[in-house]
Amino acid sequence: MGNWQRLVWNQRDALFSGLVVTVEICLIAFACAIVGGLLLCLIRMYVRPLRPVAIVLIEFFRATPILVQLLWVNYAWPALFGWPDTFFTAAWVALALQSSGYLAETFRGGIEAIPRGHREAAYSVGMRPMLVFRRIILPQVALSTAPSIVNQFTVIVKSSTLVSVITVQDLMFESQRIVNIWYEPIEMLTATAAIYIIIVFLVSTAGKALSDMLRRRFGIAAA
Amino acid sequence: MSEVPTIRVVDVHKRFGSLEVLKGVSFEVHRGNVVSMIGASGSGKSTLLRCINHLETPTTGDIFIEGESLCFRGDAAGSRAPRPLSEINRMRRDLGTVFQQFNLWPHMTVLGNVIEAPNRVRGLSRKAAAQLGGECLARVHLEDKALEYPARLSGGQQQRVAIARALAMQPKVMLFDEPTSSLDPELTDEVLGVMRELAADGTTMIVVTHEMGFAREVSDRVMFLHNGLIEEEGPPDQMFGAPKSERFRQFIAKYLY
Ligand SMILES: Nc1ncnc2c1ncn2[C@@H]1O[C@H](COP(=O)(O)OP(=O)(O)OP(=O)(O)O)[C@@H](O)[C@H]1O
Ligand SMILES: [Mg+2]
Repeated sequence: MGNWQRLVWNQRDALFSGLVVTVEICLIAFACAIVGGLLLCLIRMYVRPLRPVAIVLIEFFRATPILVQLLWVNYAWPALFGWPDTFFTAAWVALALQSSGYLAETFRGGIEAIPRGHREAAYSVGMRPMLVFRRIILPQVALSTAPSIVNQFTVIVKSSTLVSVITVQDLMFESQRIVNIWYEPIEMLTATAAIYIIIVFLVSTAGKALSDMLRRRFGIAAA
Repeated sequence: MSEVPTIRVVDVHKRFGSLEVLKGVSFEVHRGNVVSMIGASGSGKSTLLRCINHLETPTTGDIFIEGESLCFRGDAAGSRAPRPLSEINRMRRDLGTVFQQFNLWPHMTVLGNVIEAPNRVRGLSRKAAAQLGGECLARVHLEDKALEYPARLSGGQQQRVAIARALAMQPKVMLFDEPTSSLDPELTDEVLGVMRELAADGTTMIVVTHEMGFAREVSDRVMFLHNGLIEEEGPPDQMFGAPKSERFRQFIAKYLY
């Protein structure tokens, strides 16, 4: 046990500060991915002239490996757009881009799964299209895609381990740094894996509980 | 009769591409009347109802709701422009529609479904809307289900909620498109029962149905649609007692056994 104490427990402050960075990046990326995904989805479905642009972006975000995305945002964007100005920002932007591509398709699936009759029932009581979207479509999409959205968060958490390559000091970065001090990787890497497993497990358990609750309450099947 | 008809359909044609589904349908429905529309599958019954509440735009022809044109906005000079969506939405409030598939919104409670439009479209306060919603649910005998979610109700109950939702806008006419066709046989009676009560209360109704008993007993007038035209129409006793056209005779023969 002495090794664990020396190699892991005594390093808890570093690990914790890494964990905080990981959580921050993931939460920001997640929130932006939801907003971005919804925008991409709406443009794709309802803004005719911009539709090809949205499709290209969605496919591009989904098809590029996260590492390429990360390096691209980190090194190409500042030259192209003069932004992002920190590694931290580049990290969550890249994660958000990839997930927004996936979420856009999830949202589209959710919208298309709503029976046309729900919309027609709303129109025939005189509801305007915007009101129909806000009151009838969007809440149903939120409910039916909630489990997939939560699942996308676990994808972000796992992908976030790569942000250390652009020197963002997340959990993985700290773990590697400590390993490189003594070259005794077993305990540290095991502990790091355990932390990621716990996070992902907690999130996906919460997601599953959520989808069970929704099904019981509303009879809505997950998208 | 000088009274303005509640619904006047004038020479409505509807084509989808090369398929002409409605080939010139005209009729009137007066206040308090119940008109049943019957006809074989594909004869255009749903399309006609969808034209009346403007879910479909007629290719030519027009529909008048208490004398007001649904499709066109005329001015004093007599020129006609297509009516904008905002005005169509206003006119739709006067048309309550009940669909074959209920189409309740699953994320809202029963009461939520019923008060949504009174609250958000007519602008009643939530409290006033809830009061009205309770009355409408009482008319379909579902006061005690107000706080349930639709998925927990039987098909017959869901359809009655859909009726209450349409009633809550206090429409001038109720349109029913095969309201019992997706129900198990033992559940159709509770829905037909509610519809009979509405008819007895003097509700103006257009009912597309395959329930010949209902058509015969409840309606003031029956219309038989065939291939996009009204083949025969008249009071139910005359229609069912002494059908004139051969096609209608054949059609009802299938329902006698
Ligand atoms: N949006 C549409 N596009 C193309 N064809 C359509 C459309 N809606 C209806 N039709 C066609 O119009 C015809 C009449 O359809 P409609 O639904 O009005 O019939 P119906 O009398 O209600 O039949 P049912 O008893 O089966 O409900 C059918 O041949 C149908 O395929
Ligand atoms: Mg039909």
